[in-house]
Amino acid sequence: MAEVKVKKEANLSDPAEVENRIKELCHQFPQGITDQVIQNDLPHLEPQQRAMAINKLLSLGQLDLLRNSSGLLYRLKDSQSTSKMKGSDNQEKLVYQIIEDAGNKGIWSRDIRFKSNLPLTEINKILKNLESKKLIKAVKSVAASKKKVYMLYNLQPDRSVTGGAWYSDQDFESEFVEVLNQQCFKFLQSKAEAARDSKQSPMVQRNSSFATSHEVWKYICELGISKVDLSMDDIETILNTLIYDGKVEMTVIAAKEGTVGSVDGQMKLYRGVNAVIQPTGLVKTPCGLCPVFEDCHEGGEISPSSCIYMTEWLDF
Amino acid sequence: MTAQEVRLCGLLLHEHFGEVVEKVGTHLLRSGAQNLRTIIHETGLSVDLVKKSLMVLVQHGACLFSSGRKGPGSPTEYRSGCDRILRILRYPRYIYTAKTLYGDTGELVVEELLQRGHMTMSGTVKTVADRLTQNMEEGRSMDYSEVSSAFSKLVETHFLQRCPNPAAGATPAAPGTPAAPASAIPPTPESFPDCYKVPHMTLVGRGKRQLAAEDGEDQRNAKRQKMDSEAHGDEGIYWQVNFERFHLHFRDQAIISAVANKLDQTSSEIVRTMLRMSEVTTSPAATCTKPLSANEIFRSLPASYNIPRPILDQYLTLLVDDPMEFVGKAGESGGGMYVVNLHRALANLARATLESVVQERFGSRSARIFRLLLRKRHLEQKQVEDFAMIPAKEAKDMLYTLLSQNLVQLQEIPKTPDYAPSRTFYLYTVNQLPTARMLLQNCYKTVANLIERRLFESKESKRLLEKSQRIEAILASLQASGAEPEQLTEVEEMITAPEKQQLDALKLHINKLDSAENQVDETIFLLESYVNSTATSTG
Repeated sequence: MAEVKVKKEANLSDPAEVENRIKELCHQFPQGITDQVIQNDLPHLEPQQRAMAINKLLSLGQLDLLRNSSGLLYRLKDSQSTSKMKGSDNQEKLVYQIIEDAGNKGIWSRDIRFKSNLPLTEINKILKNLESKKLIKAVKSVAASKKKVYMLYNLQPDRSVTGGAWYSDQDFESEFVEVLNQQCFKFLQSKAEAARDSKQSPMVQRNSSFATSHEVWKYICELGISKVDLSMDDIETILNTLIYDGKVEMTVIAAKEGTVGSVDGQMKLYRGVNAVIQPTGLVKTPCGLCPVFEDCHEGGEISPSSCIYMTEWLDF
Repeated sequence: MTAQEVRLCGLLLHEHFGEVVEKVGTHLLRSGAQNLRTIIHETGLSVDLVKKSLMVLVQHGACLFSSGRKGPGSPTEYRSGCDRILRILRYPRYIYTAKTLYGDTGELVVEELLQRGHMTMSGTVKTVADRLTQNMEEGRSMDYSEVSSAFSKLVETHFLQRCPNPAAGATPAAPGTPAAPASAIPPTPESFPDCYKVPHMTLVGRGKRQLAAEDGEDQRNAKRQKMDSEAHGDEGIYWQVNFERFHLHFRDQAIISAVANKLDQTSSEIVRTMLRMSEVTTSPAATCTKPLSANEIFRSLPASYNIPRPILDQYLTLLVDDPMEFVGKAGESGGGMYVVNLHRALANLARATLESVVQERFGSRSARIFRLLLRKRHLEQKQVEDFAMIPAKEAKDMLYTLLSQNLVQLQEIPKTPDYAPSRTFYLYTVNQLPTARMLLQNCYKTVANLIERRLFESKESKRLLEKSQRIEAILASLQASGAEPEQLTEVEEMITAPEKQQLDALKLHINKLDSAENQVDETIFLLESYVNSTATSTG
């Protein structure tokens, strides 16, 4: 008994022992310990010594300082991250922490400056340093192409920064969108054809020519033309472009919650349609498509009598 | 009337009636109502010529006269409107429609009336019978009664109507008589109760074949004089073509073909039946036809379409549910009351026309942006890019092109009272009606261009055309007098091969230009109907 006591008392005077004790406490409570807990454990430790030990551990990067509603929390940092920060000084650690907090949305350099109160030159140096150590990376935002946001190296950028499935490296992938567009249209068109050929009653025909957005999504996933995973919302944006092309029409029906593909009790149905009219008469003449239509009048340099487009068209 | 319309009217008048009438007509179009003296003074033509041109214009209904501004005593004023003259462009379509509906007889009746403007029934019947007899084999001739029956059928379905009697409308008030004041607006044909009544006509006979022989001519002339002096009981009753009725027919056809394109044949047959049933009961400016019950539609379907009643109901429901809203449901009695939404159908067709023009002119991506703006009304540039899934740079380019062509408008919504550009929302929008009007003017200009090009082409090859005509005349006379084959070939060889080629090419060009005019006229018809339908519904 006395030995333990002596040991404990012996521990108290040694700062290293104090630190170890604190670390052990942290191990015991992985979610973090408060000042109160340390005090309870080492009742005879003077606050000054305690503060010194905690500061030492913090500067060594072995403890994480967090704040919660009841006060300050100390948490043990895992060894991996501690090894990373070896050799970095406080400022870098601060910047690193700020970037980490930003999660996968990333943070702009100006915002880092505000949060850390460091001058711009310092920030830039630190950022370059961290980048060379491969701890953070810069991701160009798709919204403003000059803006660079910083985030941790191994994090996936959020959709709002990269633009989602349609952007690869800040470039809008128009071919990809075109391919998807055509595939969806072909799927809907073939479904409509099959329905028309089935020669059943018109109501059944029309209903069978509809495809829900869920079906289209499944079809596209199975086709496997996309390297990226596409969600149903993505497919719906593609289907909307088909509506704006005038090739597809959409209706919304009420669906039971829980049926596959229903969102908020509704389902969107799409079906391929034909054009309402043939290309109109005006565009069958050269004048309908003429780029200099406004400048053309009789007696001018550009006139119907001398029109080269008409000559070509007549000889066609 | 816009400059383009006046230019087109001038060209049409020139082609159909000659230069003098063109001069008078365009002058009237530009200057509004004028009396005879002013016209003579300003056009610089002689009194005689002006009078004759005015007669021609009045005969064709292109010019209306009424008593002058200062009251019943002042000289009559003449005014002319673009619409009637622009109808000349559509004559081939009218004649073709009459042919499809009433056969050759109907076609010729309509053609005669279009050429003459106003004619009595007896006169028309005689001329048409003569023409038909011309084309029949030897020994057969056309009976007047057949032509009369075709004429009556045309009147029954309102394709022909009586000309309004100008004397009844603009009676100068006799002093002391409390007569109705002279109306400022010329009476419409419909205001007469007898508008569509066929007069009792005593006309018996057959068509006369024209004989080429000399001796027959004098005899014929004498006979003709005698025939003309016979009264047939319908003096003073003149008939004209009812353009509005033809337009209603074209509109119905457009709706039916749109339904056939969008849905299927059976649906279009149903719509055709519905429109046919409401042909004479619906007024021209109506928004939709009178409600028809499903039972009536079922009974009136053509016998070849043997669809059972429940299927018909399904088709009707599908038509009502279609986003194009061709057919609407107006009630539940009688198995469901259905109407055809005429104005909405016209608006949809006009919108499809606009979209097709944008698509052909600027490409399918611009068409996507155009349709997007039509649907969503107002959008910012960023939103346009997102919805249409077009890269930002290209979308910007296309939007600016459309803006420069005035197909798309920019709406500014300021955030601050000073319209600072950085603090204003700029929204893109498409207004369907003004855009349709603009395209309509473009169509007029296009048709005028095509006509001018056609005249230019014929003028270029005038010499060649004259030569070929002379040779044809020589050939015809040689053949009639029974020449030998060698003489014929000798004459034919007077046209060299390259000249023949040139002639063929010229013929091809002129045909192409002609058919192009008709195609543009179809667009003109759709857009005009749409613009007129909105005017009546809002005005």
